Amino acid sequence: MEIPYTVTARPDTGLYNAKVGIWLFLASEVMLFGGLFSSYVFLRIGADFPWPRHELHVLPGFINTMVLIGSSVTVLSAWASLKARRYGWFQVNMVITILCALAFMCIKSYEYYGKFHHYSVIMVDGSVLDGHRPSDHADEYSPDQYNGDKVALTEVKSFTLNLAKSTTGFLKHQRISAGPDKPYAEVSAGTVVRVRTPEGKEVDFSEAWLKPVKRAFRDLENIRSDLAIITERIESPKKQVEAMKAAVTGNYPVPFDAAKAEKLLADGAALKASSLEKIAKLEAKIAEMEKDNPESKAPNLTLQVAGTPLTFLVNERDFAKYNAGEISFRDDVVLTGKVVNDAIPLMADVIDLRQTKDPEKSLVWKYYPQLKEPFFKHKEEVTGAFLKKHAAHANDFEKDLDWQHEALRVEIEEIASKEELENIEEPAHAINIERSDKRFYSNFSPSRSPYYAIYFLMTGLHGLHVIGGAIVLSYFLLTGRKMYKRNPEHLANRVEVGGLFWHFVDLVWIFLFPVFYLL
Amino acid sequence: MDHPSETSAVHGDHDSHGAPIDLAKSIRLYVKVGVLLIIFTCVTWGVALIDFGSHALNIGIGLAIATFKVSLVSLIFMHLNHERGLIYKVLLFTVILGAAMMFLFVLAFMDPIKAALTH
Repeated sequence: MEIPYTVTARPDTGLYNAKVGIWLFLASEVMLFGGLFSSYVFLRIGADFPWPRHELHVLPGFINTMVLIGSSVTVLSAWASLKARRYGWFQVNMVITILCALAFMCIKSYEYYGKFHHYSVIMVDGSVLDGHRPSDHADEYSPDQYNGDKVALTEVKSFTLNLAKSTTGFLKHQRISAGPDKPYAEVSAGTVVRVRTPEGKEVDFSEAWLKPVKRAFRDLENIRSDLAIITERIESPKKQVEAMKAAVTGNYPVPFDAAKAEKLLADGAALKASSLEKIAKLEAKIAEMEKDNPESKAPNLTLQVAGTPLTFLVNERDFAKYNAGEISFRDDVVLTGKVVNDAIPLMADVIDLRQTKDPEKSLVWKYYPQLKEPFFKHKEEVTGAFLKKHAAHANDFEKDLDWQHEALRVEIEEIASKEELENIEEPAHAINIERSDKRFYSNFSPSRSPYYAIYFLMTGLHGLHVIGGAIVLSYFLLTGRKMYKRNPEHLANRVEVGGLFWHFVDLVWIFLFPVFYLL
Repeated sequence: MDHPSETSAVHGDHDSHGAPIDLAKSIRLYVKVGVLLIIFTCVTWGVALIDFGSHALNIGIGLAIATFKVSLVSLIFMHLNHERGLIYKVLLFTVILGAAMMFLFVLAFMDPIKAALTH
């Protein structure tokens, strides 16, 4: 079937159909990105933290802008080449455009990689330390070295399960000591954990054992629920009558209806009489099941470890909370033992005290006492220069966001001496931040702050558009020759439509670059 | 590298609205606009480093330059300087709705519940 108006213009619109289509699509794209830019404005004006400024490296963003502008020129040249029937030039320009798309994505990946390997610790007093982790190899660390973002729990002699939720998934975090250098080595496959139930029975703890225990608990709960429903229905008339009595003297008095109350009570009594047998049956069933499945009686089941206490090494993202003697997982498994290593190793590169109530007493100085004096010296210098420029703000300069940004957020390389800096950048001298000192810890991923959430969302979505556009343009390049020979104008129209999309991708970046990198 | 066949060149060397196309001239124009865009990108970076006394002013100037660059891309690269009426009609709604979205944040200052609580 011949699709009409792919080459010539439709008389009523004056355009070939694909062009109308792409403009309608671009209009919807404008609304999509417009909504996201609107969200950015909301987040920025509503932020209850210092909105990051100049935190992203400008150069990669700047190079990417050049790359996209260059590719916009070449995609246009490709289209113009087709219009002038210069297929060779079309190919050359198209190849450059696609290479530009690849270069853009490579630079973007480099930026993302840098962010994902850059970490931030917000301390309980609001102080912030950004930096790098000395090592990402956390599984075989010595407690004296690095543990990444993991918490080690030893001497686990018991654990508690919630039979409605818990699974045996926590066992994947079990570790075993393989010598002083490898205190947290992986356990070999097939290792069995032997446990003692509350009744003193020793069993191999596994999914095969837990499954029937959980099923029995669920069955018991169902029967208990049936019993509760019957009891509730029997009790309900009595409760209604009590409510009626209370309503007589309430804020909005309702006269007591004695006849209705009497009828309700009579109904309740009748229901009770007719349900006695059923209640007795259910109670007997519950007693029998509890006797047959003693582990399933209560929602929480505590199991004692038989033999050598266990050791676990748990990723922060895998547990819900922990304290000195317990780790609770998201499925309500609670391990009881002793936390032996939960420090966060960091080689800091930025100190940010804008959210610290008293910078003099910041927790940062506990870890970097040698930087306290240079920090405040730098602060004084910044303040002097600021007041020289803004004399009118002598009394309220501390509220000025620019002053805060300059004086209270410093890159360590700005204030540390060369020797100190070399020392700080040495992995062996990484500081170990106690977890009790931290309020929040993450890499520079969307979870770091709403700024990074919207940054990754918008640049990520833009990146997907770059990939999509590059695929379409590659298709035109690889399959275009046949169409060019048959009808060059048709190919030119296709490239024009693809090019319009490509310009839109460039256009979005023209806003993204200053908004995220410069302003 | 292929060269255009004479026949196709005769029939094809026009833009989408029928105007004749001169490859060298077109590419020269696109390159000139590209260079202009690059220059203004540098200006945006430079402006971001200058202290205008108010950060809001920096933001305003930065966005004004970005808007100018976007206009260049739309008018020259996307040929909106000589497009058919239908496209302008579609874009009119897009521009109005898009611009309205940029001012939705005003609603954040008009929270009736917050106002009721503070009065």
